[in-house]
Amino acid sequence: MVTLDLVSILSLLMIVTSLAVFGWRNIKQAAYIYVIQTMLLITIFAVLAQKYNAQELMSWAIIGFFLKVILVPYILIKLIRKLNVIIEEEPVEGFFVSPIIAIAFSLATAMMLYPILKEFSLLKEDIPLIASITVFMIGIFGLILRKNIIKQIMAFCLFENGSHLTLALMAYKSPEIVDVGILTDAIFAVIIMSILAMRYYKYFGSLDVTKASNLKG
Amino acid sequence: MDVGVLIVAMLLIPLIGAIVIWFLPENFGLVSTIHALLAVVELVLTLNVVSFVIDGSIYFTLHKYLILDPIAGVFLTLIAIVGFLVNMYAINYMKWDIQKNELNLKEVKLYYGLMHLFIFTMMLSVVSNNIAIMWAAVEATTLSSVFMVAIYKNKRAVESGWKYIIICSVGLAFALYGTVLMYGAGYNAIGDSENPMFWSNLMASANLLNPDALKVVFIFVLIGFGTKAGLAPMHTWLPDVHSEGPSPTSAILSAVLLKCAIAAILRYYSIIGHSSVGFGYVETLFLVVGLLSIFIAALFIIRQRDIKRMFAYHSVEHVGIIAVGFGVGGPLGVFAALFHTMAHSLSKALAFCASGNIIKIYGTRDMEKMGGLVKINPLVTTLFAVAIFSLIGIPLLAVFVSEFLIIKAGIFTSEYLQIVLFIIGLAIIFIAVLAHFNEVAFGNVRGEVKTKKVETSANLPLIILAILIFTFGVYKIDSWYLLLSNAVKIILG
Repeated sequence: MVTLDLVSILSLLMIVTSLAVFGWRNIKQAAYIYVIQTMLLITIFAVLAQKYNAQELMSWAIIGFFLKVILVPYILIKLIRKLNVIIEEEPVEGFFVSPIIAIAFSLATAMMLYPILKEFSLLKEDIPLIASITVFMIGIFGLILRKNIIKQIMAFCLFENGSHLTLALMAYKSPEIVDVGILTDAIFAVIIMSILAMRYYKYFGSLDVTKASNLKG
Repeated sequence: MDVGVLIVAMLLIPLIGAIVIWFLPENFGLVSTIHALLAVVELVLTLNVVSFVIDGSIYFTLHKYLILDPIAGVFLTLIAIVGFLVNMYAINYMKWDIQKNELNLKEVKLYYGLMHLFIFTMMLSVVSNNIAIMWAAVEATTLSSVFMVAIYKNKRAVESGWKYIIICSVGLAFALYGTVLMYGAGYNAIGDSENPMFWSNLMASANLLNPDALKVVFIFVLIGFGTKAGLAPMHTWLPDVHSEGPSPTSAILSAVLLKCAIAAILRYYSIIGHSSVGFGYVETLFLVVGLLSIFIAALFIIRQRDIKRMFAYHSVEHVGIIAVGFGVGGPLGVFAALFHTMAHSLSKALAFCASGNIIKIYGTRDMEKMGGLVKINPLVTTLFAVAIFSLIGIPLLAVFVSEFLIIKAGIFTSEYLQIVLFIIGLAIIFIAVLAHFNEVAFGNVRGEVKTKKVETSANLPLIILAILIFTFGVYKIDSWYLLLSNAVKIILG
C-alpha cells in the first residue's frame, strides 16, 4: 500500500508543475513555475535527508539551491527579458492536445520503468521514483512537441530535474564530485543554449525552431 | 616520473592551455604559436603516457578516479596523433578564414581555446574510472565543442549548433539513466565497501551483477552514447554538425570524438560480457545498429552533392563498421574494431582537411561545381584520393586491414549472413564514392576556380596523415599491435 507522505505529495506537485511549465503559454510565467518546481526538488532532497539521515542529500540540496533555484532561473529570465518574447508559438498538435500526449506517454513510461529502477534504488520510494521519470519524460516531450526555443530550454531543465531526482533516489551515496560534475554540465548547457537562442532570434527573427530547415538530406 | 603525475599533467596541460589562450592578446602570430606549442606538448606527453601501458599494465591515480589501461591507451593514441595534426592544420585554416573576413581574431582565439578544452574533455572521458564522471566528461565534450561548430555568424551555423546540443543532450540523458542503474546494480551486488561507481570494481565483480538490470543498462547506454557516436538511427545530428563547422572541427569531431563515445560503450560492453549475461547479448545489439548504420549511410552517400556531408555520412558508416566489429566479437573481431578506430580516424581527418583545401580552391562545397581537380592541384588530388581510397577499403591503406579482419572474424564465428550484408553495404558505398571522386578529380571544371595554390604548410599535416594511413595499411607496427592485443585481453578477459 502506498502511503501519501510529505515526499510523495511534493513529488506529485513536481509532476503538476512540470506539466504547467510544459503547457503554459506565457513564457515568463512558465519560467516562474519552473522556479517553484526546482524549489520542490530541493525540498524533497532536504526531507529525504532528514528521513534517511542522509547527510549527502543535505549538501545536494544546498548546492542545488544555489545553482538550480537561483542561477538557472536568473539566466532564463534574463534571456526572456532580453528577447522580449512572451507568448509561445502554437506547438505541434496544438496547445490543448500536446500536454495530454506528453503526460499520458510520460506516465506510461514511468510506470513501465520504475519497478526496474526501484529494485536497485538506494531509497525505495515509489511515488518520487515515478515522478522523477515522469518529469524527465515530460521534458523529452517538451523538446519534441514545443517549437519555441526558450520552451525547449525549459524542457531541457525539466528533464535535468527529473534525472537529478532519480540520481538522488538511486545513488545519493555516490561521491559529491559526481553531483557537482553533472550539475556543472547542466548549468553550462543552459548558458550555451541561451547564447544560441539569442543568435537564433537575431538570424531568424523568431524563436520558432521549425523556421530553421536549411540542413536536410 | 611517476605515471600518476604524468596522467594528471596530461589532463591539466590542455585545460590550463585553454585558459592561457583565453587571456592572450588578440595577435594571430602569438596565439597560433602558443596553440602550436600546446599541441606539441600534448602529443609528446600523451604518447609518453600511452607507452606505459603497451605491455598491458594498468595504473590508477587520484584515489582510483582515473584509470590508465590499454583500452584508454588506444583512444589516447587517437586523440594525441590526430588531435596534433588537426591542430596544426587549423592554423592555416584560421588564417584563410581571417582573410575571407569570416572570423575575427577574437573568434580565432576562442576557437583555439575551445579546441584544447575539448581535448581535455575527451581525454578525461577515456581515462575516467568512475562511470558517472565518464558520463559527465562525454557531456562536456558536447558543451566544449558547440561553439567550435557554430562559430560562423550565419543561419546554418546556429541551426547546426542547436541541433547538436539538443539531440546529444537528450541522447546522453538516457546514458545517465544507464549509468545510475549500473551503479544501483553494482551497489546491490557488492555494497559500498568497494565503490560500485568505479569501472574497475564493476569489472572485478561482473559475475555478481543482476543480469536483467545489465540488459536494461546496455540498452540505455547504447542509445545514449550511441547518439553521441553517431550510430543509426540516433545519427540525425551528425551530418549537419560535421558539415557546418570549419573543416578542422569536422575533422576532430569525426575522427576522434565519435571514438570517445565508442570507448564509453566499450567499458559497458566488457562489464556485461563478463557477467552472466555474456557477450552474445551485447554482440547482437551491436551487429543490428552497426549494419543499420552502414545501410542508412549508403542511402545518403549515393545522392549527396555536398562534399562535407558526404564525409559526414561516411562517419555514420564507419562507426557502423566499428560496431559490426564488436558485434562479430571474439579476439579477432574486437581487435579489428579497435584497429578500425585508428584507421578511420586517420582517413577521416585527412578527408575533412583535404576537403577544406578543395573548398578553398573552388569556393564551394557542391561536388557538382567541382571537376578537373587533378589538373588544378595534383597534390591536393593525391591527398584526397588517399583519404577516399582508404575510406572505401582499397588494399595497402589502413581501413582495408580492419575491414578484412572483420570479415575474417565473421567467417571464423560463422556469422555468414551478417558478413554478406556487411559486404553488400560496403560495396554500395564503394561504387557511390568512386563516382563522386571521379566527378571531382577528373572531367571538366564546371564551376569557378578561386585559387589554384594551397600553401605547403596547409598540406604538410595532410601528407603526414597520408603517410600514416599507408604505414598502418602496410606495416605491422609492433607496439600498436601489442597495445591492441592487450586491450582485447582486458575487454574479453
